[in-house]
Amino acid sequence: MAAKKKVLEFISSIKGQKRRELLEFESKKLISLWGIPTTRAELAGGVREAVKLAREIKYPVVLKVASPDIIHKSDARGVKVGLSSELEVKHAFEEIMANVRAYKPNANVLGVTVQEYLPPAREVVVGTMQDKSFGPTVMFGLGGVWVEIMKDVSFRLAPLTRDDAFEMIEEVKGYSVLTGVRGKPPADTEALADILQKVGQLAVEVPEIAEMDLNPVFVFDKGKGAVAVDARIILRGG
Amino acid sequence: MRKPRKPKIARKPRALPKKGDGVKALFEPRGVAIIGASGAKAGTAPVLFRSAVENMSHTYKGKTHIIDLSGKMEGAFRDVKKVRGKAELAVLALPPSLALKNIKKVVDTGVRAIIVCPSYEQGQREELLAAKGNVRILGPNSAMGVINTHTGMCTGLERGMMPKRGGIAIVSQSNSVGAAVLDLANIRGIGVSKFVSLGDRIDVDEAELVNYLSKDKDTRVICIGIGDVRDGRKFVDSLQTATEKKPVVILRAGVAQLEDKVYDAAFKQARAIRVQDVEEMLDVADALAKQPPMMGNKVIIISNARGPAVLAIDAIYREGLTLAKLAEKTAKVISQRCPGTDVSNPIELGVEAKAKQYGLVLKNVLADPNVDGAIVINMLKSRFLDTGDVRAIAEVLNKFKKPVVDVAMGEESYVLVRDVLKDTNVPAYNSPERALRALKALRKYGRVKEKIKPPVVSKAAKKR
Repeated sequence: MAAKKKVLEFISSIKGQKRRELLEFESKKLISLWGIPTTRAELAGGVREAVKLAREIKYPVVLKVASPDIIHKSDARGVKVGLSSELEVKHAFEEIMANVRAYKPNANVLGVTVQEYLPPAREVVVGTMQDKSFGPTVMFGLGGVWVEIMKDVSFRLAPLTRDDAFEMIEEVKGYSVLTGVRGKPPADTEALADILQKVGQLAVEVPEIAEMDLNPVFVFDKGKGAVAVDARIILRGG
Repeated sequence: MRKPRKPKIARKPRALPKKGDGVKALFEPRGVAIIGASGAKAGTAPVLFRSAVENMSHTYKGKTHIIDLSGKMEGAFRDVKKVRGKAELAVLALPPSLALKNIKKVVDTGVRAIIVCPSYEQGQREELLAAKGNVRILGPNSAMGVINTHTGMCTGLERGMMPKRGGIAIVSQSNSVGAAVLDLANIRGIGVSKFVSLGDRIDVDEAELVNYLSKDKDTRVICIGIGDVRDGRKFVDSLQTATEKKPVVILRAGVAQLEDKVYDAAFKQARAIRVQDVEEMLDVADALAKQPPMMGNKVIIISNARGPAVLAIDAIYREGLTLAKLAEKTAKVISQRCPGTDVSNPIELGVEAKAKQYGLVLKNVLADPNVDGAIVINMLKSRFLDTGDVRAIAEVLNKFKKPVVDVAMGEESYVLVRDVLKDTNVPAYNSPERALRALKALRKYGRVKEKIKPPVVSKAAKKR
């Protein structure tokens, strides 16, 4: 499979740098090679490059700090969203650099990633991990408090059948968030099931991936798709 | 004329057993050797030895050879070599030092499998593994051993534990939980096909046992009590193969761990039915062994008392099932032939209802396409029903492919009713809640039957 070859090549290029953790834009590149929808994200080392990329990606854009030393980008105030002009991008770049320097002075900062901006949607979390008894597994949960506070998640062994994917979506307690309550239209669970299945397939076919965390995945209204907005991949050691 | 004497040919040593035959030999051996040392002072081994000898002598129909290395037991051989070629299974109840000293000899007798009863330390286990060759080992620490009710084989520690014959196979990682399940089954008259205690699992594992039991014609339901699995994917594969043929019920300890969510997912994907405790395990397994799966959600309640029926309605909702609504024709027939019966759901029979009314109503509701399954409640106290009347239920339901569970609430009444029903195919419970849990399990297996999914493990996953 062509996709698998590309993914493996990409992984060995990371391993060549003696790294196990992929940066956000690298993780996104990897999953997009596998056909998982995600926002475009490009690395800009300096402010001029950032402006150029913003024009290319088209406004509005998002800027996020790119650093192997900063995992929680929002905590470092390293994320600026909805930037719709050159001036805003320039200001955002400087601001992020200043914030990050204050947050972690010794961090190795590569620059920022310039990313496509998506309108708000219902947020879910999709992940994979290698279980010591059962091998590759897929995790699903609703975003925000559902996962963090209520631990409302479901698991399946990978790979997933279509039924498995829908069952694990329906199994979480907050499922009604996705069916559309109080006049809200239902979310695109078909597109979400696609992502779950693809993620499961990736975990099985590329066991070099120890852990993958797509958080959040935006799920738009029925028929409008689902997109991974942030991604984090950790490779196996050794 | 004297027959010419056949020239003596040196007996060829028996070929080593083929791989894969060992698991079957654990349950259906041709010839069993029980090996122990009655004079050994240390530990549990001599107790296990005497128990195995006694249990086998009481119930086993096949051939047992006893070897007592201490040379004290009457009728026993002293040397392992004496059973060469005579036994497919060895029950090894020796203390560690003697076991390791004799394991080669035991292997050389040509046995296919060894049940190791006492528990050994890590280093001793490794030595045992290294010496076993192609022979399969169950245990060590398989103190409850193996039971096969059809041959009367019982290698375990507990005495007088031989259950009656039936369709339920029990696989238990823990000796004590296994013993408790057998105890409960015996008291309640629930029939068992095979029992096996896994012990420390250095060789034969749960997946292989499930594979064997899924092919076993005497087993209709497989019950598994487990804490952890040795190889998750292998276990899931075995469960998937098994559940295509028969239901599997699993009790897994460790609910508080995060990894339990993965276990739970694995059981779901393999279509196994998970239960919370040993009581529910037997409740559910009894129904699955005796009754057909339920092919829809609609339940009818038939009762000779109001209160228990109302509790049954709650239980139906709690289990996510629905109340059946009788077809007009069915309601009409029942009210004509059983005047005084309330033909809604619950169907309320009069206080004086006897076998005749129960039989007639049950026959008609089961024939109704609006009904998928039934819960029959028969209260003895404060009613006119006699214990023997409940037999009518068993007589009717043989004709229909829909499940029926029976309830006699309380304890004394329940025991009376259960004793009448235990040799029929009607599972009896002492509360509507327990009966409905069993009915729900029948519904779960009905869903499995409706839709057998393709296996979860792809070729890609297997290759690694």
